Amino acid sequence: MKLELHKVKVRDIQWGDVTSVKDGVLYVNKEEAISLIAEESRFAKVDLELARPGESARIIPVKDVVEPRVKMDRKGYYPGFNNTAMARCGEGRTFVLDGAAVVTCGPIVAFQEGFVDMSGPGAVYTPFSATQNIVLVVEPIEDLEQHQYEQILREAGLKLGVYLADKCKDTPADEVTTYEKGTVPEEVEKYPDLPKVIYVCMNITQGLLHDTYVYGSDIRPALPTLLHPNEVLDGAMVSGNCVSACDKNTTWHHVHNPIVAALYARHGKDLNFLGVIPTQESTVLMGKIRASQMNLSIAQELGADGVIVSEEGYGNPDTDLCMNARNFEKAGIKSVVVSDEAAGTDGASQSLADATPEMTGFVSCGNVNEMLEVPPMEKLIGWPESIAHLSGGAAESLRPDGSMYVEMQSIIASTAEIGFNKVGCEWI
Amino acid sequence: MTREIENAAGIPVVQIATIVPIMLTVGANRIVPGVAIPHPTGAPQLGEDGDKAKRRELVLRAFKAMETSIDDQMVFED
Repeated sequence: MKLELHKVKVRDIQWGDVTSVKDGVLYVNKEEAISLIAEESRFAKVDLELARPGESARIIPVKDVVEPRVKMDRKGYYPGFNNTAMARCGEGRTFVLDGAAVVTCGPIVAFQEGFVDMSGPGAVYTPFSATQNIVLVVEPIEDLEQHQYEQILREAGLKLGVYLADKCKDTPADEVTTYEKGTVPEEVEKYPDLPKVIYVCMNITQGLLHDTYVYGSDIRPALPTLLHPNEVLDGAMVSGNCVSACDKNTTWHHVHNPIVAALYARHGKDLNFLGVIPTQESTVLMGKIRASQMNLSIAQELGADGVIVSEEGYGNPDTDLCMNARNFEKAGIKSVVVSDEAAGTDGASQSLADATPEMTGFVSCGNVNEMLEVPPMEKLIGWPESIAHLSGGAAESLRPDGSMYVEMQSIIASTAEIGFNKVGCEWI
Repeated sequence: MTREIENAAGIPVVQIATIVPIMLTVGANRIVPGVAIPHPTGAPQLGEDGDKAKRRELVLRAFKAMETSIDDQMVFED
C-alpha cells in the first residue's frame, strides 16, 4: 500500500479574490467559503476569521482542528462524510496544505472544549499556535439540539478543509512524503527476525457528543478493528468528541499521529509495524472488558511481540488503559502505555483513576491540572466568557483585564496522549 | 468518601458504581456494579417500567450488601 502526501508549505494566510496558494501564502475567498458553509440550513450565522502564529489572538472555545487535504485521484477526502464516496484511505496521492489549519469554534457542551493562544505563554502548549488558522465561527439556529450542533460543526470543518485544498490542488508540491508498506503476511516474510509491534489507539466512544468515527462510522457500538497505518495517516479517523481540551485527539492529530509515524520510521529496521487498532472506551464495564479482550485477540492473531497503547481523555478510560496493559502483559506481549496525568494542581495526587501492577511501561504527557497564567489578547475570536465553563477554567478565571489563570487542561492538545505535545514529567 | 465515612462514623457504606475496578483500586468495601457511566443507577433504555424495576433491584441489592458481614472488599453481582 503506497501513499504520497503532496505538501505545499503554507507560511501565511490572507483574504483574497480567488482561493489559491501562491509563494507560500494561502488566499481565501471569504464570501465563497462562507456561502459553502452556509449551505447548511441549521446554521443561523456563519463567519470566518484568520489567526496567524505570533498574533495577539485567542480562539475560544475550540472544538476540532482539521488539516486542509484532498485526494488528487478522486473527489473529497473523508470517506463517509459530506457525501464523500466510500473508498479506502491510505492509497494514491493526497494534496496537503501543510502548515494551514481549519479551526472550528462554538460552545456546544461548554465544559469540554478549550482555547488556543497564538502568542504568549499559552501558545507553546498547543500545536495550533504554529499553524496558519482559518477559524470557523458559527451559531446554530435557535433550539438546535446539541448533538445536531456537534454534527453540523464537525462536518462543516471537514468541508472547509476539503474546499481549501481542492481549490489549491493544482499547485506543485514543495515536498512529497511517501508511506509504503505491504500487508502483514508480506512484511512478516520480508522481516522474519524483527519483533512485531502493534499500536492500540484508544478513542473516546461514550455517546452524548463523545464519539470517534472510522470511515464515517461511529465506533462506539462497534468492536475494535485493524487499520493499515496508511489509512490512519490519510483520513480514516475523524474526531467527533467534546472531551477535556488537553487530551482530545483532533481530526488533525489523527493524520499526524506521532506514534504511527515513529513506528513507521523504524519499520523494517528494528521492528515490524503490524498496524493500528482503533479501539473503544465504553461507558459500561462489560464494554471495557470486551474491547480490551478484542484488542488482545487481534494482536495475538497477528503474532504481536509488543504493543503501544495510547489513551484519549482521563478518568474512567484509565480503567481501559489498565485492562489493556494487564491483558497484554499476562499474554506475554510487552506493553507500553502513553497517557497524561491528573495529579492535582500541586502534582501530589494519584494521577490515574485506576492502577494495575502490570502497567510497567508508562510514558507521561504531563499533568493536566498544572496552573498557568495567560495575558490578555488584543483579538478575541469566539466566546471568551466561556472559560468559566471549560474544564480547567472557573468563573473567576477570566479577569477584568482579559488575562486568565487556568489549568493546563483548558488548552487544546496541551497533554495530547498520542504524544503530540511538549510536556512530560520529571522523576523526583 | 466511602472509606472516610466508614472510618469516621463507623457505619457501613455501599458504593454503587459502574467501573468496578476503580472502586476496588480506591478501596471501597461493599460495591454494587452500576449500569453505565451516564446513568449508574438506572436503565433508561428499558423504558419507564424497566428503568424503575432496575432502580429498585439496585437499591435492594445495596441493602443486602449493607447487611452482609464482610472480611474483605466484596462486589455484589446479584
